[in-house]
Amino acid sequence: MDRSLFRITPSGVSGLTFAALCFVFLPMLAGSYWLSIFTSTTIFAMAASGVAFMYARLGMVSLTQVGLMGVGGWVMLRLNHLWDLPFEVNMALAALVTMIFGWILALPALRMRGLYLALVTLMAAGGLEIIFATYQFPNGGEGFWGVKIGSTNPFRRPMLAQSPEAYLRYCIVIATLGFLFIEAHRRLFPGRAWALIRRSEAAAMAAGVNVTLCKTRDFGISVGIAGAAGALLAGSLGLLDDGTFRSSESIMLFALAVVGGARFWLGAVIAAVLFRVLPGLLNTWGVDTDLAFVIFGAGLLHALITAPNGIAGQVYDLVAKLRGGKDDRD
Amino acid sequence: MSKGTVFNWLVYVALMGGAWLWLAGDKPFKVTGMFLASGLAIGSLYALGGIGMVVLFRASGVLNFSAGAAGAAGAMTAWQLGQWGVWPPLTWAACIVVALALTLFYGRMIAPLLAWRETVVKAVATLGFALIILGLVSFIWIDDPRSLELPTDQIGVRLFGLRVTATRLLAFAAAIGIVVGIWLFLGRTEIGLQMRAVANARDLSALLGIPIRRVETIAWGISGVLAGFTGLMFANLIRLEPVVITFMVIPSIAAALAGRLNSLALVLVGGLSMGVIESVLTLSPTLKGVRPIAPFVIAALVLLWAQRGAKLTFGGRD
Repeated sequence: MDRSLFRITPSGVSGLTFAALCFVFLPMLAGSYWLSIFTSTTIFAMAASGVAFMYARLGMVSLTQVGLMGVGGWVMLRLNHLWDLPFEVNMALAALVTMIFGWILALPALRMRGLYLALVTLMAAGGLEIIFATYQFPNGGEGFWGVKIGSTNPFRRPMLAQSPEAYLRYCIVIATLGFLFIEAHRRLFPGRAWALIRRSEAAAMAAGVNVTLCKTRDFGISVGIAGAAGALLAGSLGLLDDGTFRSSESIMLFALAVVGGARFWLGAVIAAVLFRVLPGLLNTWGVDTDLAFVIFGAGLLHALITAPNGIAGQVYDLVAKLRGGKDDRD
Repeated sequence: MSKGTVFNWLVYVALMGGAWLWLAGDKPFKVTGMFLASGLAIGSLYALGGIGMVVLFRASGVLNFSAGAAGAAGAMTAWQLGQWGVWPPLTWAACIVVALALTLFYGRMIAPLLAWRETVVKAVATLGFALIILGLVSFIWIDDPRSLELPTDQIGVRLFGLRVTATRLLAFAAAIGIVVGIWLFLGRTEIGLQMRAVANARDLSALLGIPIRRVETIAWGISGVLAGFTGLMFANLIRLEPVVITFMVIPSIAAALAGRLNSLALVLVGGLSMGVIESVLTLSPTLKGVRPIAPFVIAALVLLWAQRGAKLTFGGRD
């Protein structure tokens, strides 16, 4: 197993090249408006990679990824205003707390079949939306919820990334690490187990796979990544707004992860671009942004019915065709 | 009725009674009765949504998340027709017809394309349809405070010294009537028998010559009518806003889970108890702000309780 951990694939090379190009050029080219959009796009790509991984490998549907980002962001802000720990420590703690929180949420569903996780996470998304709207996000106030009216205490960005340009680069690096972490996890554990679970849980159990453990572990990873992404989002503006974490956003992020192509890194990037950039573009063109819902919904239906590998799969197929038939996915 | 079912009934009644005693026990009924009435009305809506889901889920294996969106489209149509001065009963009928048409469209045109996929994929696909409807509805009717009046709002009935609007009574009576009606329909009619057969074993029913498409279409139809009616009631009793009505499916899911996606009577009792507990939490100073999450917490606890000691087994289908 270990031998193949550092195997280099064409998709991996193109992904790292893409990340490096973004790292170098994106902050140079973008103005301040687009800088913040690209930063949040990067962060949502990271979060989308978590949902996509769970869906592609296990067929598990999590409909509360954006809500869990809110939990990570909440912990991040809370710690930031509470102690003087470095950004990275806060981010790690936010990911950890979110992971534990996610496990507690999913507890009723992890021993049941796939549909129940979708239901439980959808309820969690609805519940988190209400909690965030009621208690808001910490901004330096007193007490457990840490909210005060009016001014906001300053947020400490990472030492390495004080300016918006540097912060975008920082996010790109963390997101790339997130993608690599998922990929390493995918390579370290036997792919047969996932393939079996996806196909039939009964068959997986018969083959000796610990289905519950496998699901719990993967859900934890996906949720932890959402927590870290939420922490990064908190660092982007230094404050968070409950409108960012509505249940409709979680549903859209999942839908777009499927539309983008859940099996590929490119799919998560496409999902995040559609998620953050398309509404902005529609707005600029003077088209009602509600139509983005229609496009995303139709895209989800189309992907589920006829294009299981999403847009990224079609791109890869096209590339493979142009290069003369060799399929070089994964 | 088996012992287990009676026990489940009692759990919900006990939960409701416990919350009531805790928060409202020491206050006069004149004050707290209001919360009971509004809780039962809201609970009826959750139960109605849940019943529509469970009926369809049992017959077709599709958990329809787009019921809320279909209800929202219907309610907005009813409001629009009302603005144009159409005779009110026609606008209510239009609400149900629009929801029915949307649901039937999905059931006949899109759902069959996914008929042999995993349950969760079928459920998630309906989210796509919900997004489409929600996007179109919000595009046609931009955000604006609106309300939907029903003539029953003006009629008050005195019950136990409380004045209860007829709309609330209507929602409550409809929830009970519909459960009884569907129970009779499933138990006494031929189509009901076929629907139960399809729910048990879809492919075996097909082999026996049961017209699966027809049975499923009827189930989609029932769920569409329920979606329209629930949307209309929700728009009147809670708020006429497409996003809010669309996401009423989330507490409906909680009610459906209370019945383990199976028992209509439990969905009704579970939904009602969720509504009452949510409403009575208004009396608690600390939990007041987060009371809408009460249904989710209850549903999660029910799920945990239902699978105590259970292991994932080979039994059943994936």
